[in-house]
Amino acid sequence: MSYSCNSSEAVCINSSNPTKSSPANTSGGGGGGGEGGTESNSKHSPDRLQRNAPAEMKVKQGSHSDATGVPTITEDELLTNSVISPEDVLGLQKITQNYLCSPEQNVHMIDFTRFKIRDMETGTVLFEITKPPMPAGSRKDCDPNAGRFVRYQFTPAFLHLRQVGATVEFTVGDTPINNFRMIERHYFRERLLKSFDFEFGFCMPSSKNTCEHIYEFPALSEDIMREMILHPYETQSDSFYFVDNQLVMHNKADYSYSGGP
Amino acid sequence: MGLLTILKKMKHKEREMRLLMLGLDNAGKTTILKKFNGEDVSTISPTLGFNIKTLEHRGFKLNIWDVGGQKSLRSYWRNYFESTDGLVWVVDSADRLRLDDCKRELSVLLLEERLAGATLLVFANKQDLPGALSKEAIQEAMGLDDIKTHHWCIMGCSAVTGENLLSGVDWLLDDIAARVFTAD
Repeated sequence: MSYSCNSSEAVCINSSNPTKSSPANTSGGGGGGGEGGTESNSKHSPDRLQRNAPAEMKVKQGSHSDATGVPTITEDELLTNSVISPEDVLGLQKITQNYLCSPEQNVHMIDFTRFKIRDMETGTVLFEITKPPMPAGSRKDCDPNAGRFVRYQFTPAFLHLRQVGATVEFTVGDTPINNFRMIERHYFRERLLKSFDFEFGFCMPSSKNTCEHIYEFPALSEDIMREMILHPYETQSDSFYFVDNQLVMHNKADYSYSGGP
Repeated sequence: MGLLTILKKMKHKEREMRLLMLGLDNAGKTTILKKFNGEDVSTISPTLGFNIKTLEHRGFKLNIWDVGGQKSLRSYWRNYFESTDGLVWVVDSADRLRLDDCKRELSVLLLEERLAGATLLVFANKQDLPGALSKEAIQEAMGLDDIKTHHWCIMGCSAVTGENLLSGVDWLLDDIAARVFTAD
C-alpha cells in the first residue's frame, strides 16, 4: 500500500503495519483474511483533523449532528452488536481501542484515493496524498489492516490556519450505494474536539467522487494548542463509514503538531 | 401547513442551501465549481460521479453538488434532487449542435416534482470562446421565456476567466433567500 505524498507543511506516514505506539492496531472484527477493500481513507482524516482540532464542535458540513442528546455508549458495549449504526458511534465518548468492523465488511469496495488540504487564504496546497489504484490481485498479501490507520505530522503552524479546504476523493465498486454517510470523531486525549457528520447519499456504481469542505478554523485556546503540540499523537480520530446505516468501514488516524517525527 | 413550514424553519435556522449543478457533459460544471472556489482549473477530467463543495458564502452554508453529465450518468441525476433549493443548469454556449439535447434535458428536469421548489439559474458558459452564442441567443434557443413554473435567470459566464460566476450565484442565493428564509 503506497501513497505519494506532497506536502510543504506536513508529513504523512501511512502505516501499513501500525506500530505498537499506534492507537489501535487490532482488527476489531477479528477477520484476518484478504482485505476486501480496505481503504486508505486515512487521507481524509486530517481534514477533519483540522476541523476537529480547531473546531471544538463547530461543524461546517452539510448534514451534521453532534452527540448532543445521544445516549452515551462504550466501545465494549458496541462490540457485542452485530450491526453498528450511526447513533451508536455518536454515543462514543472517547477514541476506540479497536476497529469496530473488519475490512471484509466493506462490501461496496469503497476506496479512498486522495486527500488534500489547501490554505484558502493563500491558495497553497498544504498537503496532498494520493493512493494509486490497487491491482486486483495484490490485496491478498497485505496486512488486513493496511491503510486503516494513518499518522499525520504537522507543524505547529497548522493549528493557526484560518480557512482551509479539505478534499477527499473516493471510488465505489460496481454496485450503487443508496445512502453513504461518514462520521468522524476527533479527540485530544479524552476530550471530544469535534464530531463531524456528512451524508453523501447516493453514489453511482463504479464512480469516482470528491468532496471538499471549506471551513474556518475557529481559534483554539493557546493552552490547548500548546498541549496538542507538546503531546504528539494524543490527538486522534475515528472515521466511521455507513452504508444504509450500517457500519462498513472504520479508519483511524493520529496527529502530531510538533513539526517532526 | 405542517411539514413544509417546519422544514423551512429548520433551514432558516441554519441558513443552509443545497445547490445542484447539472448540464450536458463538457458544459463546464466542474470548472465552474472549482473556479468559484479558487481552485486551479487547468486540468479537469470528466466527472464520473459527483463533486461536492461545502462552503460558507455571505453567511449561508452552501452545499454545491456537481454531478456528471455524460449520457450514461443522467439517469442517476434523480438521486440528487431531494432538498434542492437551487438548480444551476450549465450550457456550453459554443456547442450549437447539442442545444436541442440541452433544452430537452432541462425541460425534463423542470417537470420533476422534487425540483418544483427550486430556483433555476442558467449559466451560458464559455462566453470566452469566439464561437459562443450570446446569452440572449441561448435564452431563445432554449425557450426559457416559456418557463412559468420556476424563478429563473440566465447569465453569460466563463468558467475559465471566472466572469459572472459570482453574480450568478449571488442572484441564486438572493432568490432562494427571499423565497425560503422569509417565507414565514
